[in-house]
Amino acid sequence: MDVERIKFERTGGFAGIRLAADFDVSDLPDDLSQTLRELLDALDFPELPAKLTGNESVPDSFTYIITVEAGKWHHTVITGDAPEDKNMQELLELLNRLARKKIKKH
Amino acid sequence: MHNHRHSLECILPEHMLEQIATKGSDAQKQMAMDNISVVYQLRAERAMRASLADLFAPTMPRAADGGKERIIYDVKRGASLPGTAVRREGDPASADVAVNEAYDGSGITYDLYKEVYGRNSINNNAMRLDSSVHYRTGYDNAFWDGKQMVYGDGDENLPAEDRLFNRFTIAIDIIGHELTHGVTQFEAKLVYSQQPGALNEHMSDVFGSLVKQYQSRQTTTEADWIIGAGLFTPNVNGVGIRTMKAPGSAYDDPVLGKDPQPAHMKDYVNTPSDNGGVHINSGIPNHAFYRVAMEIGGYAWEKAGMIWYVTLRDKLGENSNFQQCADLSHQAAGELFGSGSLEQQAVKNGWSGVGITIGGETPEPKGCLEATLRFLGAA
Ligand SMILES: [Zn+2]
Ligand SMILES: [Zn+2]
Repeated sequence: MDVERIKFERTGGFAGIRLAADFDVSDLPDDLSQTLRELLDALDFPELPAKLTGNESVPDSFTYIITVEAGKWHHTVITGDAPEDKNMQELLELLNRLARKKIKKH
Repeated sequence: MHNHRHSLECILPEHMLEQIATKGSDAQKQMAMDNISVVYQLRAERAMRASLADLFAPTMPRAADGGKERIIYDVKRGASLPGTAVRREGDPASADVAVNEAYDGSGITYDLYKEVYGRNSINNNAMRLDSSVHYRTGYDNAFWDGKQMVYGDGDENLPAEDRLFNRFTIAIDIIGHELTHGVTQFEAKLVYSQQPGALNEHMSDVFGSLVKQYQSRQTTTEADWIIGAGLFTPNVNGVGIRTMKAPGSAYDDPVLGKDPQPAHMKDYVNTPSDNGGVHINSGIPNHAFYRVAMEIGGYAWEKAGMIWYVTLRDKLGENSNFQQCADLSHQAAGELFGSGSLEQQAVKNGWSGVGITIGGETPEPKGCLEATLRFLGAA
């Protein structure tokens, strides 16, 4: 799918420390942007409901908010910590890692 | 104890607001603002009840001998809980430090609740204590999933110079914190949102800290009152995740930012994030407990801890707020130690030190609507 920008936010957790990042997909190394596109395709991201079955009442769990943008189109999905979909788990792990790298640079 | 004063509360589950903020028309945003307190409170209650019903459906595993039984599982960096059992009650120590920390930490937590408060495990009915370690990769978190404890390894997947978190079993108060979420689930059942959610977090910090003090037999002045000491790697400028002694001063770091916890009601943080700032505003009751314990002195788990335990077990309800927690802990202190006792006065003084007067009016959350408008991008 066509992706230009991804906004990612993680809140909650035992530490309660917010993690957020805003990526231009074209700034990512080719292999990473490729993996991201594949995961979003596999998830059929544009068709995902805005709120995935979450676990907001599980103490200390994370909540994730992912927004994907392409031109004027954008779609936001909110998900809990332990989505059943393996692709979503992989996407969250990848975005977590990228967000951590991004923060480090600032 | 259940008080229906919902219309005065600012109950804003973040996911609902996010949906409105990203998808709603102007008219929808307006409607949402008009109905916010009622609608969202009801939603939060319903979600919580549904999840609790779900949690109670399967019977909790019971200790074989009706006492203390621990099982530690290794998830081997996967996400399927609980994983493979690697250490059972009475087994010799493992070569895996996380396994041993989870085993020892849950054992001491069991002992504090049993020996000091007469409680037989999480549910007071010999529930087996299950813990899973090595959950997923790069998972810098620990949580209580309703049935068991789950611990990640921190930032083990990053290069050493980028790591911020060590493994989450490293601090025994984190283990006591997670197990206390289980106790709360069986007792006060505090809804995990806004002030009831911050009290849920507060109770976990209190008994997590008491587990650590009990393990080392520390008096109130010997204790460090830090939550999660040792969890940060040396790359972080901080002593821990939270401090009950001086909320807001646990860390101040170029990467992680500054500890956002308030120590007083005048600094209460209204935010839709983190279920309404449950890990932020817990700083206020945390500091009240610290002040109570310091005034009473000695071992904090004996008197201050007993007052808080009785408050959690017998007094608080699912929607209790800070004011009610203050009033009810004062009541519990009177019942345990006598009306007008030094202990009861300490409770009164402790809450007063964070801006809450026993028997006072519930302060109306300040800046609630403003925060909502800001969040919705309407102001
Ligand atoms: Zn917690
Ligand atoms: Zn109610």
